[in-house]
Amino acid sequence: MGCGMGKSRIQPNKCDRVSISVPAATAIRAALLIQRWYRQYVARLEMRRRCTWNIFQSIEYAGEQDQIKLYHFFGFLMDHFTPASSERNLISHIFRENEVCRDADWERYFCYKDIEVPDSYCGPHLAFPMTFCGVSKLMEAFKLKQQLHARYVLQILGETWRLLRILPNINHVSVCHTKEITICGDLHGQLEDLLLIFYKNGLPSCEKPYVFNGDFVDRGKNSLEILLILFGFLLVYPNEVHLNRGNHEDHIVNLRYGFTKEVLGKYRVHGKKILKLLQKIFSWLPLATVINHKVLVVHGGISDSTDLDMVARMDRHRYVSVLRPPKAIRPTLNGNKAGSGKDEDASGPAEGRRRRVRSLTNTSAPGQRNNIPRRSLHNLPTGGAQLNCSVEDELKERRRLAGFDQTYREVKTLDSDSDPEFGEPTETHGHEWKQIVNLLWNDPMPQNGCISNEVRGGGCYWGPDVTEEVLGKHNLQLLIRSHECKQDGYEFCHNRRVLTIFSASNYYEVGSNRGAYIRMGHDLVPHFIQYQASRTCRELTLRQSVGWTERSALRALRQQLFVHKSDLVGAFQEFDPNNTGVISLRHWATATERVLKLGLPWRVLRPQLINRAQHGMVDYQQWIRELSITEPKPEVSDTSIMETMYKNHSNLETIFRIIDTDHSGLISFEEFRQTWKLLSSHLKMEISDKAITDLAQSMDFNKDGSIDINEFMEAFRLVDLSTHA
Amino acid sequence: MPPKKIEPKKPEPKKPEPKKDAAPAAKPAPLPEPLPEPPKEPDFDPKSVAIEFSTDQIEEFKEAFTLFDRTPTGEMKITYAQCGDVMRALGQNPTNADVLKVLGKPRPEDMSIKMLDFETFLPMLQHISRAKDQGNFEDFVEGLRVFDKEGNGTIMGAELRHVLATLGERMTEDEVDRLMAGQEDANGCINYTSFVKHILSG
Repeated sequence: MGCGMGKSRIQPNKCDRVSISVPAATAIRAALLIQRWYRQYVARLEMRRRCTWNIFQSIEYAGEQDQIKLYHFFGFLMDHFTPASSERNLISHIFRENEVCRDADWERYFCYKDIEVPDSYCGPHLAFPMTFCGVSKLMEAFKLKQQLHARYVLQILGETWRLLRILPNINHVSVCHTKEITICGDLHGQLEDLLLIFYKNGLPSCEKPYVFNGDFVDRGKNSLEILLILFGFLLVYPNEVHLNRGNHEDHIVNLRYGFTKEVLGKYRVHGKKILKLLQKIFSWLPLATVINHKVLVVHGGISDSTDLDMVARMDRHRYVSVLRPPKAIRPTLNGNKAGSGKDEDASGPAEGRRRRVRSLTNTSAPGQRNNIPRRSLHNLPTGGAQLNCSVEDELKERRRLAGFDQTYREVKTLDSDSDPEFGEPTETHGHEWKQIVNLLWNDPMPQNGCISNEVRGGGCYWGPDVTEEVLGKHNLQLLIRSHECKQDGYEFCHNRRVLTIFSASNYYEVGSNRGAYIRMGHDLVPHFIQYQASRTCRELTLRQSVGWTERSALRALRQQLFVHKSDLVGAFQEFDPNNTGVISLRHWATATERVLKLGLPWRVLRPQLINRAQHGMVDYQQWIRELSITEPKPEVSDTSIMETMYKNHSNLETIFRIIDTDHSGLISFEEFRQTWKLLSSHLKMEISDKAITDLAQSMDFNKDGSIDINEFMEAFRLVDLSTHA
Repeated sequence: MPPKKIEPKKPEPKKPEPKKDAAPAAKPAPLPEPLPEPPKEPDFDPKSVAIEFSTDQIEEFKEAFTLFDRTPTGEMKITYAQCGDVMRALGQNPTNADVLKVLGKPRPEDMSIKMLDFETFLPMLQHISRAKDQGNFEDFVEGLRVFDKEGNGTIMGAELRHVLATLGERMTEDEVDRLMAGQEDANGCINYTSFVKHILSG
């Protein structure tokens, strides 16, 4: 045995309370033994943790990629099918994002006035204009799991929409000697985390400004509550609360990731209206915040073409969903670009054809709308009613400056809400759209350069050289972004010039990660506060926490294996030409990666996935059988259609929700059939009408010939019965 | 997962104790000689190590190595400081001194700067895997039994903490806390057999 890094001493240093009762050499030997085993224990835990993380992240990003492919497919349908085509008609409405043009019409549509609040309603009642008390009341109600009445929801959303419309694309914020600003990352519908942040840090106020950096919704089950609270504070403290748009503030993404479902589930009658209004609100969310002209806060990141001047000038609300580029730059059937000439590459977010785009010089700037100075409300009296009057005045003043000459009730439309589809999209729109995609979807990478993000299917990866260039060009010193889950809630990269902040703790699973937020003062040095929302997981030891998360990741992974089982068996059989039923572990690993394409360390994971490997060989048929995933109840004779269903679970649900135009949650048999036709087009698979009819017959259609989407998806949810850790 | 290692050679008989006081001595001990090893080993020469791992094992090591790779271009390199952890993650059990030896006794300031690729790492791993004296459950329990003054299967948590934090390859207070989390009973005693099981089953 040798000496360790530190010099070993025989005598104790400070802890004289305890004397060692055994011969020193024996003690040293015991110490060395325990210490090296402890270090091994920690290292092995760390490896398991990294594996687990990889699993969750790769499945998450594969899902996003899937989503974008699906949306891209819809775009393809729109561009290449005639209007008479039935498939196109099923989905065309999602591209008609702004059916009603005039603001006055919008105001009528979203009017809450006719909605009565019944006496039986025991949730909170709100008065407008919004006050601090009102928001507090709202928060208390949500803590008690009450639901806000649709009337008040629409009212808050309406007020929010009016406010957001006069905010600039880029919020400019000053932090002075006496005020620190708090910056939060992704929340993803996890209300406990938001409440924990407010509890630890204090509520937003004139003395306590906040920036919320996007992704408020989806995945968690309280997305709407989070929005209402954030919007409430925004209305009360418009100068101190700043919201940035995230990639999930996008109705197409919401179809897949749960927000649409949440709203429709909570508001059966008015859900559709609420969603429509939210669509507009999302498009009006500012794209970035700059603190003291030095720190840029944006949800995703930057690219080598990021030009904040262009970002500041554009009409951000034209881009209701960022997943699809404006028409001008979509490629036509024969591969030529329609319209644009100068762009080297102008295709959509997926398919990896992005390349560098030369940044443009200024084109004509539409007015000073985005340069409204923010007046401070500090020197105004703090009495409740008076303060609210002042906010009203403030808003009126801003509208006047913005060129809205009427009071806001009489505002006539500019071209502000016209459909991007209707107007003639230009090359400029293409460049603007790209700016937004990058701001909302990009991820940093360690290498220099800027390459398309194949993993998510949207945006780019950007390198440290791009960070230096963009920060330098705009005279900035730090980029704060979110978008990626981090184990400790935050992480620096690019020589500490880029900081990721993520505020949804236990994102993948209880115990998977901490959330964090940033406090920053005048010196612009970030300080971090970390937390974990669930009480249970705070009490877990590291080993238990890793174990729990790991079990969950393995369950998710086994499901992925199960849904690909026939592809897997096919791949295994390629290595087993003599049909012995066994293959080597090496071939197992190669084949599995080939099918799943998750980039995971299969050999390291093998002991967790395969029980019995005799002499380095795997009985693959048995292994697949033993994956212990139950098949759901309705048994369908055509197994391949079942497998398609499992593999495309999320895609199916997304398509259903799109087809369900009245958001009733029900679709007819005919719509069901059309869904499958769409899906089979997308997957380029043949699915016979008979197979679909059989499937439909095995479903439990309601008396009126419709099925409930939620029930359908639930019936086909896979259940992992595996009991081994 | 079960550690992948070559059969360790039979442990040599325990080394003779240098004459030292039983109680913690007040006199400053001279920097202790490395406790007896086979006399004067030459410096580690990676080229002299024949690789006996199977191809499958090597593929698996590569995967693990990649999990720890933080280089900008995914070059399959790790820092010297990570070397010990990667070996341990792969089931080996070297002391820090063992690791430093195979790394060629680098200076402390080089540990987080100098990098190691997989080809260089592999012979080091092979060498470590052949080490005698890896210790097993029994050795471990024996090592702790010496602290069991009453012979009742328990040891004082405080004494163990003290030992781990001040002797051998010292652990930090944080590391000790994490190791001992949930192990001490209300009297501050540890049942060391279950303690050992707890460590070995990670």
